[in-house]
Amino acid sequence: MIIEAQGLRKTFTTRSRKGTQTVEAVRGVDLEVKKGEIFGVLGPNGAGKTTTIRMLSTLIAPDAGTATVAGHDLLKEPAGVRRNLGYVSQAGGVEDTTSARAQIMMAARIHAVPDPGRATAEVLERFDLTELADRPGRTLSGGQKRRVAIAIGLVHNPPLLFLDEPTTGLDPQNRANLWERIRQLREAGTSVLLSTHYLDEADALCDRLMIVDHGLVVAEGTPSDLKREVSGDVITLRVDEPERAAETVEPLARETRVDDDLLRVYVDDGEHTLPVLLRALEERGLGLSSIALDRSTLDDVFLAKTGRTLRDAGADA
Amino acid sequence: MIRHTLLFTGYELRKSFSNPVWPLFGIMQPVLYLLMFAPLLKTMTPGGTTVEALRMFTPASMMMIAVFGSLFSGFGLIAELRNGSLERYAVSPAWRPAIVLGRVAKDMVVLVLQAVLVLVVAIAMGVRIGAVELVLVLLLMAATGLFASGLSQGLALTVRDENGMSQTLNLFMLPIMLLAGLFVPISFAPDWMKLLAPANPLYHAVEAGRALFDGRLGDASIPIAFGVFVVLAVLTTMWSMRSLSKIAG
Repeated sequence: MIIEAQGLRKTFTTRSRKGTQTVEAVRGVDLEVKKGEIFGVLGPNGAGKTTTIRMLSTLIAPDAGTATVAGHDLLKEPAGVRRNLGYVSQAGGVEDTTSARAQIMMAARIHAVPDPGRATAEVLERFDLTELADRPGRTLSGGQKRRVAIAIGLVHNPPLLFLDEPTTGLDPQNRANLWERIRQLREAGTSVLLSTHYLDEADALCDRLMIVDHGLVVAEGTPSDLKREVSGDVITLRVDEPERAAETVEPLARETRVDDDLLRVYVDDGEHTLPVLLRALEERGLGLSSIALDRSTLDDVFLAKTGRTLRDAGADA
Repeated sequence: MIRHTLLFTGYELRKSFSNPVWPLFGIMQPVLYLLMFAPLLKTMTPGGTTVEALRMFTPASMMMIAVFGSLFSGFGLIAELRNGSLERYAVSPAWRPAIVLGRVAKDMVVLVLQAVLVLVVAIAMGVRIGAVELVLVLLLMAATGLFASGLSQGLALTVRDENGMSQTLNLFMLPIMLLAGLFVPISFAPDWMKLLAPANPLYHAVEAGRALFDGRLGDASIPIAFGVFVVLAVLTTMWSMRSLSKIAG
């Protein structure tokens, strides 16, 4: 295990003119990350992902709980944790006026890397940044900046890398490109803890993940196990009388969910259930305006565990 | 600890001089003051000569650079708070105070460069000062700058907003400037200002600077100024290092 955490908690108190407000950002999180795996923390904005990562990276002290990170006790040996950590925050931490090379070199020096010049050149090469290396940070595009941020976090070759929402704000090409690079980290043996509010990202990248909501872990496992737990496929129907339709298809489904005029039917084998289901609806004379059959996604897992879709949860926050 | 402080000092200095135009502008300002303000003061000085005016104004302009040059250096920290680089340094094995101390040390280096330039111009214009006095003036200026730089970093980490920071600085700058007798010595001021002036630390620095430029090494203002600024510099520097713990806030 490269990370083992039990019962992490953090409550923030903010004082304003309206009085004191407390926010329970993290309400008891247990977490285990194995050596060499990419572990995801998936959840809507405000679920406590960033707070969890900040606690594990020694940036803020937990109110309760214990953790061992990269072989060091989080509370007793924060210096040991910091030596073994690469940390890429949501903001990225790329400075505007300084070149990528200077910033990476500085990080290498702080970590007392034996040959900072060479380590910098290597990591620049690895992230295709050699040509951009001497341009000031502000002239780089969003995707280039992200790569610089990760290069800074990796120059000392840490066994563990934290990536807080690494692809937020990137266009699809840059996202795909970054995913590929994150996968390569696994091949290099680096353990990664990554937070994201993108389902496809968690699904595509993570060996294992946990879903968090309101500061609590609601599910944990490999993406395929989690999806199998919900069901194999999901049939989404737009119908006139969703409640009655739900009643009708109940015997065919593992679970049904009504969301306005949308009816979601969770089934094990969508291809074979679909014709039967359509016939049942027709027999009852229920009008149907659209239909879709999909493999269930992590959003369905989130919905099953929290009663909300991740998209709705994001809008609340 | 020292290694990390030097590391950050070097990094900040390279950053400052990567575009040498800005530090050059910063260095030009005090020289322009000497060239353009001293002649204006001529009519108010007892002797009525440019050299007399310069002897009064050079120490004042040096203290002015020390305070106002360094007071703005905290703005850089706010930018780094926002782009996340400060957070990144806080998670690194860097000795945390070095992150702030490196900046303060950078300000000191820039200050010394400016001071030397001002002195060269002043000497070229006919001002004379003894070696001991010169060293003491530079030390006093460094202590003043250290106080201002520490204050600025601490303020930046506490206020965390460029707008709030510039308003706060503006609020304090004018009274501190006038009550120190930077431009017009306090001896010209009405009684109530004379009473208030000693409460302004900068007043003591300016008085001591003038005494040094006059060659009055035994003047009481000199130990007072050093005492005040060494204490203040230590306090603000400690405050700025403490404020670093709020990075994650």
